[in-house]
Amino acid sequence: MAAEVQPLATLKLPTVVSPITAEQRYWKSFKNQKSHTSTAAWPISHISFPGSSNGSAASHSLVAAAKANDLFAVTSGPRVDIFSIRKRELLKTIGRFDSEAHSGEIRADGRVLVAGEDSGKMQVFDVGTGTRAVILKTWHTHKQPVWVTKWSPAELTTLMSCSDDKTVRLWDLPSNGPTHMFSGHQDYVRSGAFMPDRNNLLVSGSYDSTVRVWDARAPGGSVLTFKHADPIEEVLPLPGGTTLLAATGSAISVLDLVAAKPLRLITNHQKTVTTLSLASNGRRVVSGSLDGHVKVFETTNWNVVAGSKYPSPILSLSVISAGAGHEDRHLAVGMQSGVLSLRTRLSGATAEKARARATEDKLMVEGATSKLAKIDSAKAKRKRNAASNKSMALLGENVDVIIPTDATNSAGGRKRRVKLKPWQRDFREGRYASCLDAVLDFSSPEYQPVTALSVLVALRHRSALREALEGRDEVTVLPLLKWVIKYISDPRYSTVCVDVAFQLFDIYSEYVGGSTELADQFAVMTGKVSREVEKAQMAIITNGMVESLMIGGAEASA
Amino acid sequence: MVELRNPRKASKATKMEANGETASLKKRKREPKEETTTTTTTASQKRQRSKPQTTQPAANGTADDTLNSHESSTLFENKDQQTTNGDLELTDASNDLTTRNTSAWKVSNPMGGRMLDIDPIFSLDERFLLVTYNTSIQVYSTDDSLLVRRIAVPVTKLDSGAELSSPHIVASALSASSPDFLWVACSDGRIWHLNWTTGEGAETPFTIDVKKVLDMTLEAVDIRDKQEDVLFILQKLTKSSAQIVAYDLKGLQKKTGKLIHTYDENPQLLRSAAGGRLIVAAAKETLHIGTLKSKGKTVKAVDDLEYAFHSFGVPDLVTCVDIRPTLHTTKKGGVEIQAVDLVIGGARGAIYVYGDLLSKLPGNNTKAGPIQPRKLHWHRRAVHSVKWSEDGNYLISGGAETVLVLWQLDTGKREFLPHLSATIENIVVSPKGSSYALHLDDNSTMVLSTAEMKPTTYISGIQSLVLSDKPSKESLVRRVWKSVDDISTPLITTSNPTNPSQIFLCVGNGQQASSTGSAPSTPLLQVFDVSSFQGVNKHAIARTNPTDANMTSQGAPIVEPRVTKMAFSHDGKWLASVDEWQPPERDLEPLLTGSKNTCQVSRERREIYLKFWEVEAEDSSLQLVSRINEAHFTTEAETILDVVSDPVSSRFASLGTDGVVRFWSPKLRRKDGLASTGPEGQQLRTWSCSRAVELPAYGQLEEAVEVSPKSPRSGALAFSEDGSVLFAAYGPSSGAAVAVIDTATGAIRDTISNLTRGMIRGVEALSSSLIILSEELTVYDIVSDEVQYSFALKETSAVAKQMTHLAVNRESRSFAVAAPIPNSNQDKLKKGAKSELVVFSLDDEMPQLIQTFPQVITAVLPATNSAGFVAVDSAAQVWSITESGEQAQMLQPLADINMEESASAVAPTNLAVEDGEASDEEMQDADEDVEMEDDDYDVHQAVVAPQKLAEIFNAAPAFAMAPIEDIFYQVAGLFSTRPSTI
Repeated sequence: MAAEVQPLATLKLPTVVSPITAEQRYWKSFKNQKSHTSTAAWPISHISFPGSSNGSAASHSLVAAAKANDLFAVTSGPRVDIFSIRKRELLKTIGRFDSEAHSGEIRADGRVLVAGEDSGKMQVFDVGTGTRAVILKTWHTHKQPVWVTKWSPAELTTLMSCSDDKTVRLWDLPSNGPTHMFSGHQDYVRSGAFMPDRNNLLVSGSYDSTVRVWDARAPGGSVLTFKHADPIEEVLPLPGGTTLLAATGSAISVLDLVAAKPLRLITNHQKTVTTLSLASNGRRVVSGSLDGHVKVFETTNWNVVAGSKYPSPILSLSVISAGAGHEDRHLAVGMQSGVLSLRTRLSGATAEKARARATEDKLMVEGATSKLAKIDSAKAKRKRNAASNKSMALLGENVDVIIPTDATNSAGGRKRRVKLKPWQRDFREGRYASCLDAVLDFSSPEYQPVTALSVLVALRHRSALREALEGRDEVTVLPLLKWVIKYISDPRYSTVCVDVAFQLFDIYSEYVGGSTELADQFAVMTGKVSREVEKAQMAIITNGMVESLMIGGAEASA
Repeated sequence: MVELRNPRKASKATKMEANGETASLKKRKREPKEETTTTTTTASQKRQRSKPQTTQPAANGTADDTLNSHESSTLFENKDQQTTNGDLELTDASNDLTTRNTSAWKVSNPMGGRMLDIDPIFSLDERFLLVTYNTSIQVYSTDDSLLVRRIAVPVTKLDSGAELSSPHIVASALSASSPDFLWVACSDGRIWHLNWTTGEGAETPFTIDVKKVLDMTLEAVDIRDKQEDVLFILQKLTKSSAQIVAYDLKGLQKKTGKLIHTYDENPQLLRSAAGGRLIVAAAKETLHIGTLKSKGKTVKAVDDLEYAFHSFGVPDLVTCVDIRPTLHTTKKGGVEIQAVDLVIGGARGAIYVYGDLLSKLPGNNTKAGPIQPRKLHWHRRAVHSVKWSEDGNYLISGGAETVLVLWQLDTGKREFLPHLSATIENIVVSPKGSSYALHLDDNSTMVLSTAEMKPTTYISGIQSLVLSDKPSKESLVRRVWKSVDDISTPLITTSNPTNPSQIFLCVGNGQQASSTGSAPSTPLLQVFDVSSFQGVNKHAIARTNPTDANMTSQGAPIVEPRVTKMAFSHDGKWLASVDEWQPPERDLEPLLTGSKNTCQVSRERREIYLKFWEVEAEDSSLQLVSRINEAHFTTEAETILDVVSDPVSSRFASLGTDGVVRFWSPKLRRKDGLASTGPEGQQLRTWSCSRAVELPAYGQLEEAVEVSPKSPRSGALAFSEDGSVLFAAYGPSSGAAVAVIDTATGAIRDTISNLTRGMIRGVEALSSSLIILSEELTVYDIVSDEVQYSFALKETSAVAKQMTHLAVNRESRSFAVAAPIPNSNQDKLKKGAKSELVVFSLDDEMPQLIQTFPQVITAVLPATNSAGFVAVDSAAQVWSITESGEQAQMLQPLADINMEESASAVAPTNLAVEDGEASDEEMQDADEDVEMEDDDYDVHQAVVAPQKLAEIFNAAPAFAMAPIEDIFYQVAGLFSTRPSTI
């Protein structure tokens, strides 16, 4: 019959589509940009770091492995710079090139580096020792610029090269000549790669607009050729080894090697796509283009999930991973202007937190916590019962039968009365102004915007909004104004905020002359609202344009 | 597209003619089709229904109506003269219920009703509670809260309907000399002398000639050394004067009474005490105290009663009075009043206690100084009732704060029993002082034991709004709000398809609390069991504040939401409800901008929620699953016109004033891609819009009519019986169209226009027919694409249009239409308005039943699993309309039927164990004793007052204590007897 007092229920806000997706948040978290301008502002043509696929398998010593994981190479002009991943600092510069260098690549064990050159020379340097690089090997076989030199992911001594002489060659480190030579391209070969997990397969992309797959076991021509409309700037095999990406002009084509057919053409860039890189353990692909955009694609439907803009055409980029889980660490972007931009994702403590949350989530999904909570509550109940029985025992020295207090409670099914918080008591007892002050206290540990919203909505329902807003001085009205300004643009808060703002203007506009703070805040609010209005108008205009386009399209198709 | 009515087909669509007063449809026969065209004008009008010129016949109709209103016979002669005001409103002045049966339909006796603001009465042994309802006296057993007897009191007479203030019961009192009898006074001067143990006496009231009876009290006066009932009746003389007249039984028969006192003030209340030795009459701010002058002398007849009256002013408007006389026996053996303590409750919240009042009164009419009362002020609003406790140490008061306050007079301390469900209307202390009876404004009465303050008896009736007879005590003082005194919105009811005995009603926190806004607020869902006729439980389905202060600091009431639509899914597992709230206009002054008025601003801030509830199978409790904030939205939240459920799947459809039909279906609730489960591992669901179908705007259908986008729209939805098609009628009043929507694809298959006239009030689908109720009732066959028949309803007020109901019973393939009878004197539905209900069978255009009801019908719903209807009226009564061929009652046997049956079964054994009843022999049928004798000690816990135990144990000091065995038997005896008989 008599209803129990319940504290004011917190509103449950609708889950709106957040303007920022989790993916975008992830890529936004690459912060702490560090720019490094190359010597004489040579364009950064290539960024690479030791392939992670077999690094551990081939490591000779722990020190070397650790060191190997810590290096990446940046090629710009006639130099190759070697950076530390951890410290983001330049460690060493290799400048022993006669002309422009290409494709400086560190071997998976981090000990040697190979680079091609415009002169057609290919050189292998020792990385580890000293500040001055030692040339270990030089090949002069190519007569035209060598654009691609890459270490085989499977064998430490095998590498490949692609050259403007329209050939792709396979090399063995000790020997003086190429072990294989693949010819068939009609134009410069500017990109190439080993197929992962398939030791004998190579892929190359050429300015003759073809992507060709070569098999070391099958001499002669290519085993597979994909013809595109535009020159191929970059090829990137995906980890599975069945899918291949090729940057062709401003598009990226997705090729299926097993079915031998193109899957998709991604046309999100406006200008030539110059570089592609894997990220997030192969679940994302990052592309860079001459239009200065970096775009992140997911690899199932190839939708753009994030992106950012750089001030200069992008020539090279790489998502550098590190650590045991090969988590993305840096987003390194090399630009035409010679600037290397390094954006780093905070790891360590934050990563730790995120991991803890993930495990908690997982447990929650599995229901482990509910079990845990059950156990906890059972334990607590036992303790309570014991305590109450103990107190009863103390009380009843000469009593024969002890009736525990809990029996009545459990029989009635009545729960212990909820203790109201101070602001809830204020609300219940009609001290609305102090209640509102309490929930708007930004410094309070219990501050939550939704609590304040709940109180304001309840005040409106109880026709007490004005009563709660009236009679404030400059100090007590400002938090309210700031709160309104902060949330007036949130669609879930705006209706209430608008009402509160109206009331505040109505009550306090006469004091604006006397208080600069108040005047400032009112001005800020006006500015924010007018910006929102502008946005809304823009949206309406856009909507109108789209609608007219749609109608036009429908008519055209009809 | 549908050009329905070529002339030949149209002729089929005959119209019933209209008559506001006496037309009868009984004798009408269906005429051959050729004859329907005799009156050419009407026939052509019928044919041209498809053209938008239906306004002209309406004008004709009103003319005909005025001409023919008293010439029913001529109407019957040329019955096919198709006056468009062919109505469904037929009245008859002869008896209570006008029934014109063409077939086997019949209407049951009403059940339920509204408890009046009259103190409930305990029987002397406290085993029964007599509650005065607006149309009946109901006797309840206090042991098990069951209805023992319902004595219908024929208060409302249909022929007196023209009077603006219709008669109502003003007082009831238990006879002091013979406790089986009850006196009931009606405002028009009828006095019933009822035997409440048998129900006799309801047909033969005494009648006295008065203008208006205001109040009545009853005392057992010693007349010729014999106790006889004397009625003191406060009757109205002029607007501001009244007289008190005493009647005894003979006087009532002769219609002559003894005039005791006349005073020229606004009379309010009359109370008496101590065997007629004291009378207290309250005017607005004055009390008149009358003391019996005939001291010592024996009173030989009523005419010998002489009173000395004193009057004095009180500081507030009197809302309630309680007298506590202390009697003492004189040496001669006579009885005298020793002292009188008086307490009055004020309309402004204060309680005034006059201790030992008589000694302060002036001796012989000489004007004494002001009498100073003691003031107790806790109540914020009017004190609705204040009573002395049995021992005089406490006062018990209650009011709109829903708090029972116990004042300890010596210390001035207060104790509270807070958060009762509604305004406390009446408090009665039982004859033995062991319990209090509280009558609350939510049509419930409870008996609380004084020791534990726990309810031992709870009676809860249908809580729907009623048209009350007397203004509330709140309205004695001017308030910042105005309460509603008419019924403007239909009662939202529905029945659970899985539980035919329960109906669900949307109600407010009591009559007064819910009628404070512009429209009644109904945040609660009352589950009412019609088989036991008890409220089962109440759920808050919209925001409500039972434990918080129910008014603002400015004194305005807090407006709660109003549930506007409700529907169960076909399997009864889901309930969809729509509630609306808009801020009161008084709050919105600072928000006015530009040229907007407060009404628009308030509209912009409307909160309209569509909620989906999961219904627990066992106790029909509800759990909110999803709340859709703005289900229909344009630039502001749009009204949801209708919500219907798919008859074959868990799916709802809603229609809003934005002209969109939305389908709602459940889906598994997911969190991060995984199905989320409840605490018991059950799968959780959530509701979302699965499809939105935009209805074609009216302007696109017919270029001829320009409709401004702001004109109000009306609409309704109906699923076909197999759920494959949804009919959506929607449009402005100038012309709405019915869209036929394929529920599988959402495509609009068809659009039928010109089936309606005016606002759409209801659409139902029954087999291949579509029944549309607007200002016309049209039955349209979808398959043959023609109107089967059509009647025009009489023009009524806007409110009456709201109160038109359409209900379809699929079992009997019939449908019922109910509407208030047009009354040109009333533009609002107030007291005295009547309704008519007409039952049609689908195949026959002749009504199966035309029934006039003495009250406005606020809801009609089809009975679940049976071929009938249930109607709820504005007196909170429930009527069942059944096809009498059907054996099974549509409702489960109502309480009194139930009683009769079980009585005959158990009666013999009961008579044997009968005890404590004064007149065993008279109770041949013994029906009312069944429940109380059917006692179960395991169930009814004995309530033992602590003082009784103390009496046993403290009877003597420990050394002189009775043997332990004796004490044991005393204690056992205490616990084994029922508390009421201690």
